[in-house]
This record gives sequence, C-alpha cells and structure tokens, in this order.
Amino acid sequence: MLYRVIDRADLPSLVAAFMERYEVVAPVRRGSFYAFEAIGDFSEIALDYPTTIASPKKYFLPATETLFEFDARENAVTDYVDEVRPRVLFGVHACDINGIMNLNSVFNDPRYPDPYYRAHQDATLIVGVSCTPGDTCFCHLMDSEEARPGYDLFLNAIGEAFLVSIGSVTAANILEGACDVREATDADRAAFRAATRARQEAFNGAIPDVQEIPMLMDAFHEDGFWDELGGRCLSCNACASVCPTCYCFDIRDTLDPGAETGRRERVWDACTSPQFAMVAGGHNFRSTAAERVRHRMYHKLNGFLATHDRSLCVGCGRCAAACKVGISPIEVLKFFERKGADDGE
Amino acid sequence: MSENTATVGEARAPRVVLVGLASCFGCQINITNIERHLLAVLGQIELGYWQLTSSEPMPEAFDVAVIEGAVTTEEAAETVRALRERAACVIAIGSCAATGGIPAMAAGDLASHVEAVYGDGLPKACGVLRAPAPVSAVIDVDFTVSCCPIDPFEFVRVLDAALYGSNRLDVTATLCGQCAQGEGGCLYKRGQMCLGLVTRAGCGAKCPGLGRACNGCAGLSPDANVTAARAFAASRGFAPGRFDEALEMFNAVALAPAGEE
Repeated sequence: MLYRVIDRADLPSLVAAFMERYEVVAPVRRGSFYAFEAIGDFSEIALDYPTTIASPKKYFLPATETLFEFDARENAVTDYVDEVRPRVLFGVHACDINGIMNLNSVFNDPRYPDPYYRAHQDATLIVGVSCTPGDTCFCHLMDSEEARPGYDLFLNAIGEAFLVSIGSVTAANILEGACDVREATDADRAAFRAATRARQEAFNGAIPDVQEIPMLMDAFHEDGFWDELGGRCLSCNACASVCPTCYCFDIRDTLDPGAETGRRERVWDACTSPQFAMVAGGHNFRSTAAERVRHRMYHKLNGFLATHDRSLCVGCGRCAAACKVGISPIEVLKFFERKGADDGE
Repeated sequence: MSENTATVGEARAPRVVLVGLASCFGCQINITNIERHLLAVLGQIELGYWQLTSSEPMPEAFDVAVIEGAVTTEEAAETVRALRERAACVIAIGSCAATGGIPAMAAGDLASHVEAVYGDGLPKACGVLRAPAPVSAVIDVDFTVSCCPIDPFEFVRVLDAALYGSNRLDVTATLCGQCAQGEGGCLYKRGQMCLGLVTRAGCGAKCPGLGRACNGCAGLSPDANVTAARAFAASRGFAPGRFDEALEMFNAVALAPAGEE
C-alpha cells in the first residue's frame, strides 16, 4: 500500500479535481440527519458526519432500476441503456466500504454476474474517510473496522492532515495533480497509530464482543428470543432500507399509461417483508414476523459467512437507529451474552 | 390473477363503468387530472358509465366496475351487489371504498351521528342508512387502489393489471421502510406523531417526505403490529388514546371489534 500525506486545506482542491470528470457524492447534513447526496461544492460536505440514515448502496443498487424497456406493438425489447454516471463516493466510512465489498462478492459471482451492478461499480471511485464510532457502531465486532481493499483513496485523519492510503492509479493521479502531497514521516505514522487507538477506545462498551456468533445462531435457532423480537417487529423493512448489505430485489413490469410500452424494473425487496417468502400457490414459508426477523439475523450473522467467508453485517448500526422497536444485531449480541452469563451460573 | 383479468383476447375493448358512492368524488376528479395520459387510458377501454363526466345511463353489460366511496345505505349495498354480479372484475378506489374512510368514522355510533345532523327528521332522500363500510365488506373486490385521494397513476397501473394481468404482489409491509429510503429522518424525532408505523406501504411515503405525518389513508396493513406501534408512540410521548384516535380517521372499520357482515 502506498501512503501520502495531504493537509486538510487541500481537500477542496481534491474535490474540485474530482468534479471535473465525475459526479461527486458525499455526506451532507439534512436537518439533524445526514445523507449521501450529489454535491455541487466542497462546502456542502459534512466530512465529520457520524453516519447517514441510509447507506451508499443506492449508488450500486438503486431502489428502482430499469433493466430494459419493451414495446408490445413491435414485440421489441430495448437493451439496457440506463445512464451510468462516472461517480466519486467521497467520504465513505470503513464499514460501508466493507459493505460494498460484500455486495461486490454477491453481484460479481461468476455463476451469475450482474451487468447492471457491474456498470455502476466500474463507474465509481471510492474515497474513504476515517471516523469516530457512535453509540450504535459495532464494525469492530464484525471485522469491518478497517477497509483493506475496496477504495481508491482512504483519508485517515491525523490532526490537521490526512494520511492517505492509495488504492488505485486513477485516484493517485488525481490526488497528485490536485494536492500538495508529501511522503509520510515517522511522526505521521505515529499520529496514525494514535488515531487508530483513539477510535478503538471510542466504541460503545455496552455492545458485547461475542465469540463464535455463527455457532450461537445455530444453537439458539429455536429459542423464544426470536418470538420476542418478532412480537414487536412492525414489518416495515426500515432495517433493510438503510442497510448497506441487504441486496435482495424483486423484478416487475410497469406499463406506461397507454399499456403499449413499459419497463422491466428491479426494485429493492427484503426478507422482512411479509410477502418475501410467498411462493406459487400462495404458501408463505416464513409467514410470521418472528421467522422473518430470525432469518434476517441468520443471514447477516451466519448464512453469508458460509459462502463468502465473512459476516454480511458490517456493524454500521444504521438498522439499530432506524428500527422503532429495538430490533438489531446489537440485541442479538446482547442475547448471546445473557445466555453465556446464564450458562456460567 | 388470470381469473380476474377482464377481457384479454376479446375483439372489443373492455367495457368499464365508474360508480361513486359516499365520498367527496376527489378520487374520480384525480383521475381526470392526468390529462396528458387520459386519452391513452381511455383508448384502451369502452367507458360505459361515469356520472362525473356523462349522463349516459348505466349499461346492461360491462366487464370492469370501478367503485369509489363507502357503502353507507342499503341502496348502495344493492348497487355494489348488482355491479359484482355483472362485472368480471371489481376495483375499489380510494380510502372510502378501501377502508370505509372518513364516512366510516360514524360506523361505531351511526344513530347519534344521524340525530346530530338531521334531528328526528331523516330526509327520505338519504335512503336507508347503514353503518358505513368498505366495499369489500359487502362484495368481493379484485383490486384496490388505496389512499386519499388515489394517485391516478396507481389507478392506471391497477386498471392495466385488471385488463392485462400483472406480476406484482400486493404489499402488506408498513410505511417506515419506504420512508427511510427517502432519508428525510423519522418524524417522531421531530416530535410528530406519524401513522406510517402501521400503514400499508405503496404510496411512496410522499407525506412524510414533505414533513407531514402519515395519517393512515392507505389503510392499516393486515400485518400491522398496532400493539408495538402504540407502545413506541407512547415512548415518544403520544398516549395510546391519541394514537388510536388519529388512526380512526381512515381505519375505524379495521380497528373495530369483529363486525356484523
């Protein structure tokens, strides 16, 4: 990995350089919340944002995306022509970069590569930024505290400067051209280590560090705990809407008002949706909220790991903030901790 | 869905009638508001009856009956039964037809409401009153277009689904998920009581997106967890009584203990 150091004062020119060739998307303040949005000027960026309501997933897998258009009169289908904008996601936290890595491994699976996703991925540069964990953050427990691959640049804040990890030639050239870059010194590296330690110490200690989560998910599969969570689930899918790694979708046809032309669209779906597991004939093999919540947690904390060798949940904590009734992986971790304490008695 | 699809394959255009019951007629008006697309929609059908736009009488035969409004009289109940007998497909549009809507706020205590408005002398023109109810309480309904008023594009989509079939399932998820996609932030965090917690998704969460709390016009989801939602609202300082009262505006029938019909 190549490292360079830039001053905080260099950031506006870095963003301006990206803007010459890319749409720049960054965290911006919306009232008392933050969201990723396309920006027109560096001053709109809230780089020290705690987290955003929803993840940057929407730039890879839009909530609604046209796959093709059809014309019933001609019996014709127009190939995928949706505009894919060259884009820079600026100011992405490590958890989200790991979330995007998880999506990449799903949508780039050689058995079923997804050209729609791939087009967005290929057109997107990612500039990460280091962060200070908030109350609902637990990326460190999900092995997502650091972004190893998965970015073009990563800005590690060290006081009034950034130690920049460089991940791609394209981004390196833009960085070199826009900023007054210098080599990292021993002092910079020491500051980086100090910043990392400060972050590690800032995590919410009330979120328990539980070992062997996948094994525990299997062991407590039939526990009444899931009925408790299901009993208060609102079946709203807010968890999936904000999640950086929920990637399920439905495909449906939408006719234009004249019913002669239309579009085939891909729209977000979620396993917490009551109809998600409904099959032909009307049978629903996860008809209760308890089964749906358990399934969601199972996939996040166990199922994905078996195929992709890492937890699907990246510990960003957004679902914990979005859920009105306190359902999140944090509650599952606390449940496992209680079980461990019970066993010890 | 094919058994409900009206006329695919027939030579003539499907015959559609549009009937208004107890309502403000706003949903019908809203259909006329898509001027740019209206001819394209009308081009697919033979409009047999629409009191709002023509005084042509109701034809003998038709394929699709679109019903706006709640059933508030025995005469209206008779009307919808007659529509059901003749139509291959019935579409209920708007909150009044879908949930009983505003008229159904009187369902719990019809007599006292009648007395308050008319005193002793109920005019004959009112017909034989009955507790206001959604169309589905009287007849089977094939498709529903929710909300007050309806989104006219949603109406066209559902009409197309009735005419040609559709690969879309009705959703019963509640609104917060769609609202979260808009990233406007939860209105409860701004001190507003919002009924999106229990209201069927599908409207795109337009109201909360504009900073206005959901009033439940899309109807209580059959999968709504009202108990958990009440508890959450209470935790944010909204007493369960307030929550229920707000919910009654569009969902009095769904909230009432199991009814007669």
